[in-house]
Amino acid sequence: MGFLAPWFLAGLAAVGLPVWLHLLRKHKATPVPFSSLMFFERRTQSSIKHRRLRYLILFALRALLFALLAVAFAHPYLPRTLLAVSRSGEVTILAIDNSLSMRAAGLLEKAKTLAKSEVADLHPGQRAQVLAFASRVEVLSEVTGDRTALDAAIDALEPSDGRTSFAELSRSLGSIAQSLHLPLRVLLYSDMQQTGMPANFNDLRLNGDIRLEPDPLVSQQTPNFAVENVVAPRRVYSGAKTRVLATIAGFGTAKAVRNASLVLNGRVIQSKSVTVPESGRAAVEFNSLEVPYGRNQGAVKIDSADALPADDTFYFSVERADPRHALFIHDASNTRDLLYFKTALEASGQSAFAIDPAVADQTANVALSQYAFVVISDVGSLPVSFEKSLREYVRDGGAVLIALGHSSMGRAKVPVADFAIQGTRYAGREGDLFQSAATLDPSHPSIRQNNRWEGVKFYQAIRVDPGSARTVARLTDETPLLMDEQLGAGHILVFASTLDNVANDFPVHSSFVPFIGQTANYLGRLDAGPSAVTVGSFEELRDAGQKAAAVDVLDPKGERVFSLAEAATAQNIQFTMDGFYDIRRPNGRNELVAVNADRRESDLTPATPETLRLWQNTASGSAVSGQAGGERSRLSLWWYVMLAVLVCALAESWLGNRHLSVDKEAP
Amino acid sequence: MLQRFLDPATLNSISGLDLIAKTVVDGFVAGLHRSPDFGFSQEFAEYRAYAQGDDLRHVDWNVFARTGRCYLKRYRGETNTRLLVLLDTSASMGYGSHAVNKLDYARFLAASLCYLANVQRDAAGLIVFDEDVTNYVAPSTRQGQLFRLLHAIEQAHTGTRTDFTKPFVHFQNFLHRRGMVVVISDFYEDPAVIVKTVEPLRFRGNEVILFHLLDPQEIAPKFREPVLLVDMENSGSAMEVSPEYARHEYRTKIDAHIEALRSQARGAGMDYFLVDTSRPLDEGLREYLSVRRGML
Repeated sequence: MGFLAPWFLAGLAAVGLPVWLHLLRKHKATPVPFSSLMFFERRTQSSIKHRRLRYLILFALRALLFALLAVAFAHPYLPRTLLAVSRSGEVTILAIDNSLSMRAAGLLEKAKTLAKSEVADLHPGQRAQVLAFASRVEVLSEVTGDRTALDAAIDALEPSDGRTSFAELSRSLGSIAQSLHLPLRVLLYSDMQQTGMPANFNDLRLNGDIRLEPDPLVSQQTPNFAVENVVAPRRVYSGAKTRVLATIAGFGTAKAVRNASLVLNGRVIQSKSVTVPESGRAAVEFNSLEVPYGRNQGAVKIDSADALPADDTFYFSVERADPRHALFIHDASNTRDLLYFKTALEASGQSAFAIDPAVADQTANVALSQYAFVVISDVGSLPVSFEKSLREYVRDGGAVLIALGHSSMGRAKVPVADFAIQGTRYAGREGDLFQSAATLDPSHPSIRQNNRWEGVKFYQAIRVDPGSARTVARLTDETPLLMDEQLGAGHILVFASTLDNVANDFPVHSSFVPFIGQTANYLGRLDAGPSAVTVGSFEELRDAGQKAAAVDVLDPKGERVFSLAEAATAQNIQFTMDGFYDIRRPNGRNELVAVNADRRESDLTPATPETLRLWQNTASGSAVSGQAGGERSRLSLWWYVMLAVLVCALAESWLGNRHLSVDKEAP
Repeated sequence: MLQRFLDPATLNSISGLDLIAKTVVDGFVAGLHRSPDFGFSQEFAEYRAYAQGDDLRHVDWNVFARTGRCYLKRYRGETNTRLLVLLDTSASMGYGSHAVNKLDYARFLAASLCYLANVQRDAAGLIVFDEDVTNYVAPSTRQGQLFRLLHAIEQAHTGTRTDFTKPFVHFQNFLHRRGMVVVISDFYEDPAVIVKTVEPLRFRGNEVILFHLLDPQEIAPKFREPVLLVDMENSGSAMEVSPEYARHEYRTKIDAHIEALRSQARGAGMDYFLVDTSRPLDEGLREYLSVRRGML
């Protein structure tokens, strides 16, 4: 018998309590009046006799109770041997890790060799299955006793760029055990990266009939350098030199100097030496990136020459394009709104759009298709033909921002959006007589990153009936302030106040700049995503209205990801390898997506044996260490001991009560 | 309050027995107690041959006419007796291991006896004593005597220690006529001293009955652990007693004491009766009176 927590046995000292109670407790004789002492003699009682144990059975029960409690907390168990034959019909699962980290030092080949030797050792009639796992689990073979098929499945295993997820493996094993209705013996060949463990250990829980036998291929951490991250713009709109910031990380490494290079389209632009501290990070800044027109493949590389070269390059894509034009229609007598809008757009760091101002009267012959979006700022009347073409423009996917002011009051409806104008809401410019934005919907792209317009005072707002449009912001009196209407493929955004610092003081607040920047991005459909994504992430391929159009995707090896049938229907794509994916959409929005392996794979620290043991123990009654022909298991005695404690406690209560009642009866 | 002593069931049981059987003292009221002497009763007893000096008034002349011999006709005399109850109220009588302590029990007993005597129109008296006489009600058959007695019994409270010698000297002064003397006590004294003290009452022709009242815990103490016993008659005296001693040696001693008292009392012509206060009073009295009738 053994104890899982033997230090609790120190609690056996508590047995002294009943000893003290029964033997050593100071005897107190209570005076009892008696009629006459003429027949009594004074007797000297010997101390030994006086200290005789009383209520021997009660004492024994109490001592036993304390002893059992201490033993229960020490968690006793009996080792027992389970023969393999006791688990009839057991299926052997060969789970091989093919994550990025398994590329280090030929670990994958080692794992395959071990798996093959296990296949060779299978008993006749014993069945097995081969799984490959990284961020997701791939079934490479059926449950079969055919060794040739199993060997072929192992040979077909390719390294991937995914990251290890033991939680995903546990979930898949549970599913397999449930579908097979048979006990599983899982042989796990992995480098057992600590970073592969989930944050919640409960995700590792195994079914009771799964017996996990991990085979750690490495026992200690392997030093590894990696380019952990690169910050670069995804798009640039000018020929100015662009700044690229890279982070070089060392995992379990000594302090070292590394040479980092910035590569664009296969050409080294700039190299720098960087000192990486011991198991630390260092930043490298490149300022000399001149991006040519078009989509460009960028990368930052280091010459680390470590065990895992796959993470020494970090890819990023950068696109050079001309700024797109946006039409700003304003009243001829008011240019303040144009000034504030343009200044805010420039201040937001957004150079993707060039503003083309126009007054309402000049808009009759404007070709709207060349504009990314249109802003109509407090305009009283628009040419009928322009309004009609504007509606067509929006239906085809264009976007309009309409700001309403006192000039709009002459109209019965908001242009294009056709919201009924109900009236105007005035507030004084002094004291507390103003409105502020009460509710803001942070899920809307226009206000996603600054969802509080603190201190902004609205003195005038046009009250409109938004109908079925989405109300993004409201004033304190529930007047809709910002509304988003979907019309065809495009959007109409209605701002029920002006942009000229008259009807409100929004333009002079700091929240105005991000609002304008985000609104321009939203209306211009500018994807401000990162310059690189990780392996395993998804990308949306088509909009709702583009169902029949084919999307062409080339993977980093230059091969088509989708078949012709898939290309016409696929809604999104999951990136499975690092490199550049070329996505060609039917609407001409082509994209070059840089994909990098998850850098948590670069940390090659293996999980501790204790963690692995805990994982094994999540399956109740699972084995701890494998042995030929059988395995050692532990039979927990905790419940039995606690049962004995309960019985002892009951007996002690009954007996104690009995003694107590007798004592009460005695004079 | 008076009803406390006159439990009807108890009295009923005592009245059903014949206390008349034993004592014949010289009496005048016919029908209850038989006198040990031949007197003026109408009930014929026996014939006796005439002897010189006999009173000629008692000669049965009819017999002389038939036989020519002188015979004296003798009658059974009937008498009232005098009952004197001596009630010990020493501190030790206050002991009780259950609801009724010894003094209470002694009160019940004394009241029962007094009532019984009153029903039989016997003169009853009471002496309450501890180390001295604390109360005295002279024997009488006057109206209200019973209530005087009961009141005196009611007033009896535990006093100091027991000393038989001093009060018993006084008792002899109170007893001018023969009768029945009932001593109710726990008799915590040397049996020889008790008998020697009480014996003079017997010399005067009194019938002396000793009621030895003991609590069951005094007869057979049961202690589960060593206890510190404090003497009720001498609070300065305390003693730690082991359960083993109480179980063995003490019981031997108290049994010897009871036996010595019983044998010495009987040897001196006194009746002795041990009363366990845990037993019902009427049951004890019935048994005692049965024993007395059996002795006749």
